[in-house]
Amino acid sequence: MEPIQTEIVVVGAGPGGYAAAFYAADQGKKVILVEKEKRLGGVCLNRGCIPSKALLHATHFITAARESAERGISFESPKVDLAKLRVWKESVLQKLGQGIGFLAQKRGVEVLNGRGYFEDSKTLRVESDQGQKFVNFEHAIVATGSKSALPKAFDLGNPRIMTSREALEIEEIPAKFLIVGGGYIGMELGTVYAGLGSQVVVVEALDTILAGADPDLARLVMVRAKKTFSEVRLGSKVLKMATSGKQIRVESEFEGKAKEETYDRVLVAVGRIPNCDDLGIENTKIVRDDKGFITVDAKQRTADPSIFAIGDAVGGVLLAHKAAREARTAVDGILGATDVSLPITIPAVVFTDPEVAWCGLTEVEARQRNVPVEIAKFPWSGSGRALSFDRIDGLTKLVIDPQTERILGVGIAGVGAGELIAEGVLAIEMGATAKDLALTVHPHPTLSETLMECAEVFYGHSTHTLAKKKPV
Amino acid sequence: MDGAYETFEKIRQSLEKFHLVLRLGGQCVQFCLCGANSMFDMDVKLPKLGEGADSGSVVTVFVKEGDSIRKDQPILELENEKAVASVPSTADGIVSKLFVKPGDKLSVGQRILSVSGGAEGATDATRSNRMDGEISNVVVQSNPEEHDREDEPDVADDGEGGRKPETSQASGTVPAAAPTIRKLALDLGIDLARVRGSERGGRIVMADLKRYIQNLQSRGRGEKSAPPSEIPSGPVSNRIDFSKWGPISAKPLSSLRQVISRRMTENWTTIPHVTQYDEADISALLELRKKYAPAFNENGARLTLTSFALKAVCSALRAHPIFNASLDESSNQIVFKDYYHIGIAVDTDAGLLVPVIRNVDQKSILDLSKELESLAAKARDRKVSLDDLQGGTFTISNQGGIGGAQFTPIVNKPEVAILGLGRGLLKPVVKDSQIVQRTMLPIAVSYDHRVIDGGTAARFVVGLVEAFESFRDKDLA
Repeated sequence: MEPIQTEIVVVGAGPGGYAAAFYAADQGKKVILVEKEKRLGGVCLNRGCIPSKALLHATHFITAARESAERGISFESPKVDLAKLRVWKESVLQKLGQGIGFLAQKRGVEVLNGRGYFEDSKTLRVESDQGQKFVNFEHAIVATGSKSALPKAFDLGNPRIMTSREALEIEEIPAKFLIVGGGYIGMELGTVYAGLGSQVVVVEALDTILAGADPDLARLVMVRAKKTFSEVRLGSKVLKMATSGKQIRVESEFEGKAKEETYDRVLVAVGRIPNCDDLGIENTKIVRDDKGFITVDAKQRTADPSIFAIGDAVGGVLLAHKAAREARTAVDGILGATDVSLPITIPAVVFTDPEVAWCGLTEVEARQRNVPVEIAKFPWSGSGRALSFDRIDGLTKLVIDPQTERILGVGIAGVGAGELIAEGVLAIEMGATAKDLALTVHPHPTLSETLMECAEVFYGHSTHTLAKKKPV
Repeated sequence: MDGAYETFEKIRQSLEKFHLVLRLGGQCVQFCLCGANSMFDMDVKLPKLGEGADSGSVVTVFVKEGDSIRKDQPILELENEKAVASVPSTADGIVSKLFVKPGDKLSVGQRILSVSGGAEGATDATRSNRMDGEISNVVVQSNPEEHDREDEPDVADDGEGGRKPETSQASGTVPAAAPTIRKLALDLGIDLARVRGSERGGRIVMADLKRYIQNLQSRGRGEKSAPPSEIPSGPVSNRIDFSKWGPISAKPLSSLRQVISRRMTENWTTIPHVTQYDEADISALLELRKKYAPAFNENGARLTLTSFALKAVCSALRAHPIFNASLDESSNQIVFKDYYHIGIAVDTDAGLLVPVIRNVDQKSILDLSKELESLAAKARDRKVSLDDLQGGTFTISNQGGIGGAQFTPIVNKPEVAILGLGRGLLKPVVKDSQIVQRTMLPIAVSYDHRVIDGGTAARFVVGLVEAFESFRDKDLA
């Protein structure tokens, strides 16, 4: 069969891959997008960001309804129809997946369903049910993403031991649910299952949940989790799991003591590994690091001159918006533009309850690197908006360069933190100072005011909290 | 932005016309987001040295790889514009890599060494570069394929800006500028760390970038065509083979000598000089000196004629403030200074240096004598810091210790006048219809005739002579 000729082939149609394909097509390139799954969108759309947020949204009402009794509005106990919930969730994913397909089609991006395999630095073989096709490309962009790691010790072939992929399917509501790993995936899905009524136990090996977030922000999630989860064990390790009838017997270590418990289901959320195997990478000049991620330079070029790589496959922070930015950089590189991705900061958002979001320099990082900073904090107890919806468990903080007063980092914990952080990202990218933020009028009553007031705290004149006066 | 891009495209083209290489593409950009190396290895870069001093050549390197260094510890000696100054470290830690060696040319912002396991500083150093950074030479963006970062120490600065741009700042932050500005700078191969931001917090806006580029252009026109180093300046003169007529030897111009040469040429050609001559009767002054010298010696100071000259000049300057002023040609203003910082020309092995004594009006002759001595010693030992050389409002060049009468000193820009003193000589003088022996001090005041008129100058000189002649016991007690 004649190989298909194309200028650019993109392997993987996640938020990095389809962004790359679309952008390249918009720039007039002939693009083929290869995706092994039926639905486009990758982990983000199918098994990550979107379904988890849909479920968080759905289960939020269970908690909210319960809590509204205190405010004089009570509901009967909610009835959960899991099948219907799954159908609704699926419909959301379907709409988005079709949307991406439609956008691809309108741009003239040819989508090949099948598994991509590099024959050499210029040829990709695409295997599908209908047989195989060969694509001759000038440039390829590898955007194959990552998947949940399941350590061998936990991989018993027991479907009750799940990764996030299975947990998002919500086959049942386990009475006793163990989550191994207190990172963002564990904490987010814990929130979903706790909302649905599971007794959630989180076991985290480190001494903090949400590693990477400043402790004062993560603490607010911890405070809430202590109420809604049955337990969060820090500095604890799961040693062994074994099938025990319809349950899992789990041996763990906590506070120096061995524990043996049984759970109905277990979620293992201990990290992610790149999807770089079975890709024919060995037939190219691509180099991978010791963790299996593809090595790239600032322009997303791999060691193979005709192949670029982006997103989770290249490591760093494994976030969709990082992949999307790298997609543009890679395409610009192929087009010969001088562009190199320029962002100073890639924001991180954890959709726990409350949400945690941060960008730029964190307080902990500043301390580790000995960067002199001043920290300004505005607790949400001073926010009328937060009080009005009864969630003052929030904190907005700024990491400020004491000399130039430039904002180096922003951290927010609280309901809707994920929506608020973008202002912080813009402030950092624009090189804004705390004064700029303080002088910008923020609408009342909104949570966005906490950013302004936080900047005012820095100058010692926040209206709604008592800040120490700054010596002039 | 399209309009702006067009403008910059034009600028870029014209830059290229001036043989400035702006290599587009292939820039090596690394951000501080991640990477263990950048987290804990810190670069020590050449800090801003002083007015007009943005480069120099390395004389001595005091540290080597593996050394443990402290913040503020001198790490190398740099010969530049006016002096040999030691450069202090901006960080604590172990020297993990040294990027310079004696003879290398260094520019502000260029890496000197990296420290590991350190703390503090690199951020400050890079920040101050940006905040106070004088607009500097042309930046040539190196292509990482040709010189990857490890090769950097070998990329010698040719004095014209072969320096490596530091888009990444090891532990610091990217210069404060909007993404559009950063992108544009990247496209043009401009290192924003060198651009001074005018907005709050040092934020760089389009106007700052424009100004910077215009500056590059004017440098391109000026110095580019006649680089100060190596090649003799001015019209290309035919090389003469002096050995035709006998044995010769040659040595390269030191960078200090090059600077003196450039500054003298500039001052002499741009300032219309007039020199006013006179003589002051210093017989009484010498008597006083004889009387008080022992007391000064006891206090560890040498009472010299220069000490008196400082006071005399100061009183004349007070009476004639225009001599203590500067001409600001960019704004067509005369700037009068309410302070009296007087430079003293010091003859050193390497060449002329002019350290400055501050607030002469507020100091006693004893204080001045002490300061003069330590400053002269520092200058001769080449330990004068750049601070010591800056901010002068008037200069005194006293050649009396060597000999000779009047001479024509050249005004030391941005000052507007300079006093040259010769050797005091015993002369027959008519006084009260009698011929008497007096010691007469030859005085010569050169001044900038654009700013100072002849009459004013004559009055200044008369006042100066009077000041020399009217020292009393109370001035020394």
